[in-house]
Amino acid sequence: MNVTQQTRVGLRTVALGYLFVLLALPIGVILYRTFEPGLSEFFASISTPAAISALNLSLLIVAIVVPLNVVFGVVTALALVRGRFRGRGLLQAVVDLPFAVSPIVVGVALIMLWGAGGWFGALDRSGFTVIFGLPGMVIATIFVTLPFVVREVEPVLHEIGTDQEQAASTLGATGWQTFWRITLPAIRWGLTYGVVLTVARALGEFGAVIMVSSGFAGVSQTLTLLVHARYIDDHNTYGAYAAATLLMGIALVVLLLMTVLDRKRSNR
Amino acid sequence: MITVTNAHKQYGTFTALDDVSLDIPRGSLTALLGPSGSGKSTLLRSIAGLETLDAGVVTIEGEDVTNVPPQRRGIGFVFQHYAAFKHMTVRDNVAFGLSIRKRPKPVIDKRVDELLEIVGLSGFRDRYPAQLSGGQRQRMALARALAVDPQVLLLDEPFGALDAKVRTDLRTWLRRLHDEVHVTTVLVTHDQEEALDVADRIAVLNQGRIEQVGDPVTLYDRPANDFVMSFLGSVSRLGDQVVRPHDIALDRDRQHALALDAAVPASAGVIGAVVERVVRLGFEVRVDLRAESGERFAAQITRRDANDLRLAAGETVFARVDQPSSIVERMAIAGV
Ligand SMILES: Nc1ncnc2c1ncn2[C@@H]1O[C@H](COP(=O)(O)OP(=O)(O)O)[C@@H](O)[C@H]1O
Ligand SMILES: [Mg+2]
Repeated sequence: MNVTQQTRVGLRTVALGYLFVLLALPIGVILYRTFEPGLSEFFASISTPAAISALNLSLLIVAIVVPLNVVFGVVTALALVRGRFRGRGLLQAVVDLPFAVSPIVVGVALIMLWGAGGWFGALDRSGFTVIFGLPGMVIATIFVTLPFVVREVEPVLHEIGTDQEQAASTLGATGWQTFWRITLPAIRWGLTYGVVLTVARALGEFGAVIMVSSGFAGVSQTLTLLVHARYIDDHNTYGAYAAATLLMGIALVVLLLMTVLDRKRSNR
Repeated sequence: MITVTNAHKQYGTFTALDDVSLDIPRGSLTALLGPSGSGKSTLLRSIAGLETLDAGVVTIEGEDVTNVPPQRRGIGFVFQHYAAFKHMTVRDNVAFGLSIRKRPKPVIDKRVDELLEIVGLSGFRDRYPAQLSGGQRQRMALARALAVDPQVLLLDEPFGALDAKVRTDLRTWLRRLHDEVHVTTVLVTHDQEEALDVADRIAVLNQGRIEQVGDPVTLYDRPANDFVMSFLGSVSRLGDQVVRPHDIALDRDRQHALALDAAVPASAGVIGAVVERVVRLGFEVRVDLRAESGERFAAQITRRDANDLRLAAGETVFARVDQPSSIVERMAIAGV
């Protein structure tokens, strides 16, 4: 391509300016606001009982969702790559559904399904709270994070093929042994990457979760809900900034982890 | 001893194995030879249990293994693309079968060292497959397959992904290994030279059927049909006969050629041809010819004969079949 020096500099400036205004600036403002009054103020704000409870709840949801997604994701990826069954095309499409459906719609759908008046409402009426309880938030989070592990593991499975697994079987390994000793180690980078994406998305989910959470501070508020509540309901602008910074901090750790893993992966 | 009886395998409407029966004697090195798509891999993988037959019986050492999974067939299998366990060191790759069998670590270590010695990879114990060359990877795969003391060793185009030099080296090496280890071995290849070189028996496959089974000399000298003849070694068409290029003799003098030809029964006669090209391949010389009928064929003669004849492009020579044994016997077999 023939691009003159001038155009190149111009394009670069535009791109950087665009990124700055849309990405760096908002985050910078939050960070500035958060740390403007000093670190002690920040720590005080994120160590209130409500904030600690929100952090715990967010992490709890992640801790439940990740193992479920790993198991389901690996099984689904295996089925999609290795399986020969009717409805494979349908499954292929369904897996991507969460990318297409707005989280708020997911929330509404879950209420209609699991709420007291919904199809599975009997469970709710029998005393096991799904909607406005932890199960509802977990289900909502699973819905929105479902594709990540599947979509990260799938190409790796394609790439490794079945030769290694067949070799293992001729050497006497059972299907289960082959899975643990051959398949799982071979897909571990794809799997890790999928988990990182799942964690980031689970932490940040707002739309679906707010629909199915009762939103009580200290009980059923996740970090994202805490940010929202502090800003909108409590008019505690500073508290919202601080909580947002905490959320970003965790996300940043996850992102860094991802970058490191990615580098490791491309080095192999 | 491996026996395959009336094996049949269908992929959709495509018949990959069509009523194949084959005995592989104990301790032999048998090659399954045929063009790409002829069903060699399917047959080998059926022996291994990696493929299930639609019909037919497979036995290994007298035991019917038709419905036995690959884990319990007592086989070692080597894949064309190595199938190395990429996340494991050479040591762990070779040790895999033994560690599945829960052998004690000292036993495994001893056996691994022994095998790495045999395949010449002693210094590579702690390397990963990615740090090995193709030839080294395949030798590792061989050691891995041999580690579990298989009753039969099955190799699916094991040298197919390697370059020519490494391929011939490994071939020779495999033959020596087999002479030492004596494990019943089946080698799949589409390379006739490879089959003739290493195997003591060759089964020629074509379109899911076995065309002929025998030792290399028999197959080369007494092919059962045109397919086997043209697949094992090159052929020339002289008149209405198919012959080996090195069975064609060339003469400058027509009368002389006719006199010699008269002594040969059932010959195709003497054919006048124009030399198109003389290719010197070391000891041998290939002469590309065009017959009076316009048909092109090649003769293979020695360097000395070529020098005596002083062949050059554009000159006329007279071709006849010099050693008709192959044709005569072939026709006898075919019942002509
Ligand atoms: N899993 C499969 N599904 C459909 N067709 C197959 C499959 N495996 C092999 N075939 C077909 O069967 C024929 C024989 O295959 P193969 O045994 O691999 O041949 P070879 O090893 O002699 O090249 C080929 O035409 C191939 O396309
Ligand atoms: Mg093949």
